[in-house]
Amino acid sequence: MSTEQAIKVENLNKSFGKGDAFVDVIRDANFTINKGELVALIAPSGAGKTTLLMMLGCVDEPNSGTMWLGDEKVYKNKWLTKETRKIRREKIGFIFQAHYLIPFLNIIDNLTLLPQANKVKDADSKAKARELLNYFDIAEKEKAMPSQLSGGQNQRVAIARALMNNPQIILADEPTAALDMNRSVDVVKMLKKIALEQDVAIVMVTHDDRMLEYCDKIMKIEDKRVIFI
Amino acid sequence: MIHLAKEDIRHTLGKFIVTAMGVGMLLGIVLIMIGVYRGMIADARVILDDLDVDLWVVQENTLGPFAEASRVHEDLKYTLKGYQAIDKSEAITLQSLQIPFGEKKLTVFAIGYDIYGEINPINKKRLIAGRVLQSDHYEIVVSDKTLYKLGDTMQLGRDIYTVVGITHGTVASGGDPLVYISLKDAQILQFTYTNKRIQTDRARGIINKDSHLVNAIIATVKPTYTIDDTAQELRTWLHKAVYTRTQQSDVLTKYVVEKASKQIGLFTVILITVATIIISLIIYTMTLEKMKEISIMKLIGLPNATIIKMIVEETLLLGILAFIFGNVFSHLIYTKFPKNVVLLTPDALTLFFIVVLASIVASFVGVRKVISADPRAAIGG
Repeated sequence: MSTEQAIKVENLNKSFGKGDAFVDVIRDANFTINKGELVALIAPSGAGKTTLLMMLGCVDEPNSGTMWLGDEKVYKNKWLTKETRKIRREKIGFIFQAHYLIPFLNIIDNLTLLPQANKVKDADSKAKARELLNYFDIAEKEKAMPSQLSGGQNQRVAIARALMNNPQIILADEPTAALDMNRSVDVVKMLKKIALEQDVAIVMVTHDDRMLEYCDKIMKIEDKRVIFI
Repeated sequence: MIHLAKEDIRHTLGKFIVTAMGVGMLLGIVLIMIGVYRGMIADARVILDDLDVDLWVVQENTLGPFAEASRVHEDLKYTLKGYQAIDKSEAITLQSLQIPFGEKKLTVFAIGYDIYGEINPINKKRLIAGRVLQSDHYEIVVSDKTLYKLGDTMQLGRDIYTVVGITHGTVASGGDPLVYISLKDAQILQFTYTNKRIQTDRARGIINKDSHLVNAIIATVKPTYTIDDTAQELRTWLHKAVYTRTQQSDVLTKYVVEKASKQIGLFTVILITVATIIISLIIYTMTLEKMKEISIMKLIGLPNATIIKMIVEETLLLGILAFIFGNVFSHLIYTKFPKNVVLLTPDALTLFFIVVLASIVASFVGVRKVISADPRAAIGG
């Protein structure tokens, strides 16, 4: 496992509202996640999992603190770039509860959409997409539409999409929520394998304690603090 | 390269085409409306073009028979011939008639002319069957729109007329079919009263034997003279209103079809506005249906420009496809209209540019929705 940092966070704070409506969500978060690690993020509903995920994904802006993605400092009390969407496009992969593939694009187009926005050559992005489809054992489905694939196949395509931009981190929002136990274990094992083989850090929000044994670290939000257990 | 708009449309092709056909029918009606106006202008010019004369001499202080009642004496044509500048001059009558049409009546516009005269209003190119008038009485040449056939007879006034010729494309400015009768017959129909009326008039001391009135004298000018100068000279000496062909054409378009053109123009503007609103609503709905995908695209980092391009392209394509359907639709049905509908390419091109503009405006609602889409909506189911 690599010791190269994928995410580093120092004194990160997030609150919403003012006065009577003030809600403190994350207080003084300090942690580092290395490449190759699969980290579970657990907390009760409403404790701030999605908020933390959105801050790590450069969607929600923290109130203060410092954040690195890889070696690049992206936040120090304010975003250090105007284009946070570009950071997402180039450094972050997302996996959702459902596959959320674009229904009007076939599988290969779903995969090459993001590289196309990153100005990657068509041939290069297609080669990368085919390599990933091979990796996930669904190479023969590249021309199929998402509606023609099974739920499990679509979820594998969604994971492949998250890897298309060679991300430093993958943020997975309850990727096993819609799956039965066996398939959930398969997906988490797959994520573990990907983290190691693709040298990428994966932060996975989960409510399912049975998945925790497959993770390298367990990050918990408790009383607004981010702790590792 | 992935073309998002193309792929999205391909995914819902049937729905997209049916929608475009619906909007297309609306645009087709816009084209028909414009065509009706063009038809009125074209119809108004049929008589002027077929007569092909330089001057119209009509009752003083009137605009002539196309716009208001005009009566001049028939023998004025001989006075005109006395002028050096005048080449030919003839008397004509123009009047609306009701002819039998099955069990109903059909309004036609009748032109009465001297069948032995130098100017014949029947354009031989438009004569598709039979012949021109050859007898001073009881012969009629009709437009094919009247559905009369050669040899058919009809009663006009107290007399029976026989159809001796059929013309095509001959209509007046109001869209009524043209019929042609001899000047003598026309004068009887227009100026001769019934026996009872003559009796009553005599009892009142009114004696009016003169039926040698006509509605206008038409004339051509010798090539060596200018039409405008000749018209001015006639105005000075004849105490009559004299119009050149251009002026008479203006009378037709300004006074006769102007109101219709304004009405049609207003309808056209309303229809285009409705089409724009419909396209906007369709695009808005299509965008709403894709909000989850748009949120995901924004979350994974796709630039707004990529998504907005998809919306604008879809709107433009919808507009252009609707325009094509509208053209096909209008060309399929325009002959079914009772009035003459003239579909011109420049009008279609103008509508095309308006549709493109309207589509761009219509895409704004979708674009606004894209800009306001929250990437957080992709998280949390």
